[in-house]
Amino acid sequence: MTTTVKAHKPSFKVQRFLSNNGALVGLVVLCVVLFIATPDFLTGQNILNIGIQVSTVAVLAFGMTFVIVAGGIDLSVGSVAALSSMAGGFLFTSSGVPGWLALVGGLLIGLIAGAVNGLASAYGKLPSFIATLAMLSVARGLTLVISGGRPIATSPEVSFLGSNIGAIPVPIMVLVVAAGIAWFILNRTVLGRSMFAVGGNSEAARLSGLPVKRIVVTVFALSGLFAALAGLLLAGRLDSAQPQAAVGYELDAIAAVVIGGASLSGGVGRISGTFVGALVLVVIRNGLNLLNVTSFWQQVVIGLVIALAVGFDVLRRKSRRS
Amino acid sequence: MIETPLITLEGVSKTFGTVQVITDVTVDVRAGKVQVLLGENGAGKSTLIKMMSGVYQPDGGRILVDGIAVSLPNAHAAEKLGIATIHQELNLVESLSIAENVMMGRIPTRFGMVDRKALRSKARDALGRIGLDIDVDTLVGDLGIARQQLVEIAKALSIDARILILDEPTAALTRHETDNLFRVVAELRARGVGMLFISHHLDEIAEIGDTVVVLRDGHFVAEVSASTPQAELVGMMVGRSIDEQYPRRSSPVDTSTAVLKVTGLSAKGRFQDIGFTVHAGEVLGIAGLVGAGRTEVIRAIAGVDTYDSGTISVRGQVLKKGSVGAAIAAEIGHVPEDRKGLGLVLDASVNDNLGYATLASSARMGLPDFSGQRSRAGVIAETLRIRMLNIDQPVRLLSGGNQQKVVFGRWILAQSTVLLLDEPTRGVDVGAKVEIYELINSIAAAGGAVIVVSSELPEVLGISDRIIVMRDGRIAGEVSVSEATQDTIMTLATSDSNRSSQTDED
Amino acid sequence: MKSSVFQKSATATVIAALVIAGVAGCNRVSTTGADSPPKIMLALSTLNNPFFIELRDGAVAEAKKKNVNLIVVDAQNDSANQANQLATALSGSTKAVIVNPVDSDATGAPVTALNKANIPVIAVDRTVNGAKVASFIASDNVAGGMQAAKNLAASIGGKGSVLVLQGVAGTSASRDRGKGFAEGIKAYPQITVVAEQTANFDRATALDVTTNLLQAHPGVTGIFAENDEMALGAIQALGSRAGTSIMVAGFDGTDNGLAAIKAGTLTSTIAQQPGKLGALAVDQALAAATGKKGSSIVAVPVVSVTKSNVGQYIK
Repeated sequence: MTTTVKAHKPSFKVQRFLSNNGALVGLVVLCVVLFIATPDFLTGQNILNIGIQVSTVAVLAFGMTFVIVAGGIDLSVGSVAALSSMAGGFLFTSSGVPGWLALVGGLLIGLIAGAVNGLASAYGKLPSFIATLAMLSVARGLTLVISGGRPIATSPEVSFLGSNIGAIPVPIMVLVVAAGIAWFILNRTVLGRSMFAVGGNSEAARLSGLPVKRIVVTVFALSGLFAALAGLLLAGRLDSAQPQAAVGYELDAIAAVVIGGASLSGGVGRISGTFVGALVLVVIRNGLNLLNVTSFWQQVVIGLVIALAVGFDVLRRKSRRS
Repeated sequence: MIETPLITLEGVSKTFGTVQVITDVTVDVRAGKVQVLLGENGAGKSTLIKMMSGVYQPDGGRILVDGIAVSLPNAHAAEKLGIATIHQELNLVESLSIAENVMMGRIPTRFGMVDRKALRSKARDALGRIGLDIDVDTLVGDLGIARQQLVEIAKALSIDARILILDEPTAALTRHETDNLFRVVAELRARGVGMLFISHHLDEIAEIGDTVVVLRDGHFVAEVSASTPQAELVGMMVGRSIDEQYPRRSSPVDTSTAVLKVTGLSAKGRFQDIGFTVHAGEVLGIAGLVGAGRTEVIRAIAGVDTYDSGTISVRGQVLKKGSVGAAIAAEIGHVPEDRKGLGLVLDASVNDNLGYATLASSARMGLPDFSGQRSRAGVIAETLRIRMLNIDQPVRLLSGGNQQKVVFGRWILAQSTVLLLDEPTRGVDVGAKVEIYELINSIAAAGGAVIVVSSELPEVLGISDRIIVMRDGRIAGEVSVSEATQDTIMTLATSDSNRSSQTDED
Repeated sequence: MKSSVFQKSATATVIAALVIAGVAGCNRVSTTGADSPPKIMLALSTLNNPFFIELRDGAVAEAKKKNVNLIVVDAQNDSANQANQLATALSGSTKAVIVNPVDSDATGAPVTALNKANIPVIAVDRTVNGAKVASFIASDNVAGGMQAAKNLAASIGGKGSVLVLQGVAGTSASRDRGKGFAEGIKAYPQITVVAEQTANFDRATALDVTTNLLQAHPGVTGIFAENDEMALGAIQALGSRAGTSIMVAGFDGTDNGLAAIKAGTLTSTIAQQPGKLGALAVDQALAAATGKKGSSIVAVPVVSVTKSNVGQYIK
């Protein structure tokens, strides 16, 4: 029964790989264009720069991938990132909590905020769009309350997240570890496999005995945790927790997930795709800076690239189906 | 045979990727005739009708309309030539009125405003043409499936369709509703409309059809008269003879061992005081009209919905209310009525779908048993003869019968011994039906207990040991299979209106 | 007939009574206004930024001193929010409104409504287009940009290549500061601006953008950021080079900016004195509310802050 697929020629395999990785093809094209356009693009230092810059968005987007695969959306990740880093900074500077504990505290705040989103969505029966929209406002407001609207200095432990170990920047290491964990959760655990079922058809998942509500709560809690990590990374790089940090990042995260091939209706998504999607966003900004494109046109170009990346993907799928 | 057919698919072929689904098939539809298209699920029937309605284009062969070769690049082109398709999933907007649905895209206007009066009268005319007398302001969502179907037919006819493709129109209808539909079909035939009819109910073919085209694996097998004996038709369809439509089994029921016991089960507005016992090795049929509460009882037992009072116990253990997990732990397996909406994650693979019920229980420390699951799923797919490209193929791409086998397979993989089957053969072709009956038999033979809810009386009679009949949320009576006939069951199911499938409100 | 005459007169009496009561009511408020503190609304675009917090603090302190009942509202950078907040001043006993528009054009309509109700409006930091304001209080951003150019040029010895980090595209602050800087830097023909990129007035964005720009232009010796937040982001990107091999000029004089000047990483900034903006706005509002004529434009001077004079400004 399986012979039909195995019997295909290698060219078919290549074709299949390409059609499964539309965003990757797009990224490669983008890189080639930039490589030709400016000699500054393909340098070791610039690649490290891109690695550092992608870390925040990618970590946020990994959490978002869980939520989108499970059929939801999380608009609160930017605010939760800011709240977590601010809470971490506050615990350290104002409450005298040891730096490492403040860092853990920050992560915990993110986890709790995410779990609240999940509870509101699963048990409160609010659409996740609304539940997380509320959290977007609440978390940003709490960030301002804690900080009084001013930046707060961070602990050495958080600053370490923005430093280097030897030649390797810590944000890149955190990114790699976070990607590994996210990939493992999504592909190798019962929870991850359940996310696909819940996102694909939550009633069928429930009738098959999957604890759908618990899964939803966990998924949002994970998204909050990844958002907190992203927020602490950002604070580490800035050596301070900013009240207005990560405003609008939720849209970058969603764009990264969708460019990476996930379906907003749930049930489909990959960590590798999301990573590529985040890279597309960061590489394009990097390239536009290197080429000194004016700020007005930058927004136009970024929008077009997002539309092209996703549109291309939709077309590709359509052609494959018929 | 002298006059030109309305439409002819002449030697058409179609390939998807690397799979040839239609090979050199010729089918025609003639004015005033009903052409029946017969074949197992996956035989290529839907591909064929999609070619007629402009959704797919043939790779080889020609399409002739009134003897002239045409190309149908899209559904609109087919519509313009008078070809209309009534799909299983109806193409109606439930939140709009009948009138708006019938006149969709052609809403009459006056001074840029909707001309409600003209809208209503035109819609009323359209309904009148098929003898349907309902208030055209009724929302389509408030109609039953049978009437929705008639509305869709009226809509098709109002845009001057002369070729009507009916894709399994009777699958979701009761016998009475089917009779009503056939009356309309007969009228249309008399008026010269050509029809292509798809059905899995073999007994309907002689009743409604003129000729039958039989397909198997995308190939044309034969075109025969609709009066051809059923056994012969089945033989042509499956390529082998099926001795019996309902294979009997010999294993005895062990009446001393109650496997599933339901007592005093009530849920307001759904069912009242339901009590019965299913023994080891027994198949219990639940008959009744649609809406009698059969599905609701099944869902309560499966833990999908909660209930107000009463108890459910499996092998003496009382089951926790409203918990699917507890039901699964008690070895209950539930095949829901709507396999696409409730049974399957369509974009997930066959392997994943087979494993959902056992995902957590077979895992270690939160990590699924991937290799074990794969090999178990492989065995199940082999045993149930699930026809697929490979085990990683998305379930969406399987035919209805094979999709249903995947839902069954999930519970066999979970080693369920109490199976609750809600319309298990709806939309399933004859070959797969027999395989499902054999599956039910083997579960019973192994000492399991099976409940089958079905609207097809021959099926209930053919596979059950005992039948309970529900009416208005209550058990109306119980009959052993030896003394049950379609009449006795219908009497119980409708006894208030005095046994009559003929005294109809329409 | 008789009854209808009676009804008419009764109606007239009731209306007259209402009018009198209304006038009396108004009188009562205005007469007691001298004793109880007058109510003034301060409608801010955002409190999500230290600059506006300092502006608010200055206004609050001044209000306390002058015995003004100051109501502070925050539009959270949403023009619609601000319009609603301004509308509430129509119905209350508010004597004057100080507005810091989210968007100069969008605020026109709600301010016109206030004009009609004879409630004086003072604009602060950003002006209002298409409506009357009694007074406009702002720092001189163009002059500030020119001063920043002078400071930066002095710190890099009048030659070399520099980067410009722009604010949110299309805002007046970004436009004016950029314009001032461009004009000011013309005086130094040996200085070239090699790249101008936006970092949205945001520290994190400035960090990334500066990192990227340094990649393309490794030889730069100076950076002008249109606000201190971006300057601090640039300093983060520069690491040990900040204040040693690459000089950074900021704008705003926020606490963090001043601290960076003290630390030597930020070379200069333009102190906007937001507290003074707030205090002067309250003074002007009070004058307008009591019918006195204030000055129509109050340009609050900006001051260059470098390491030599930072001590005066740091709190």
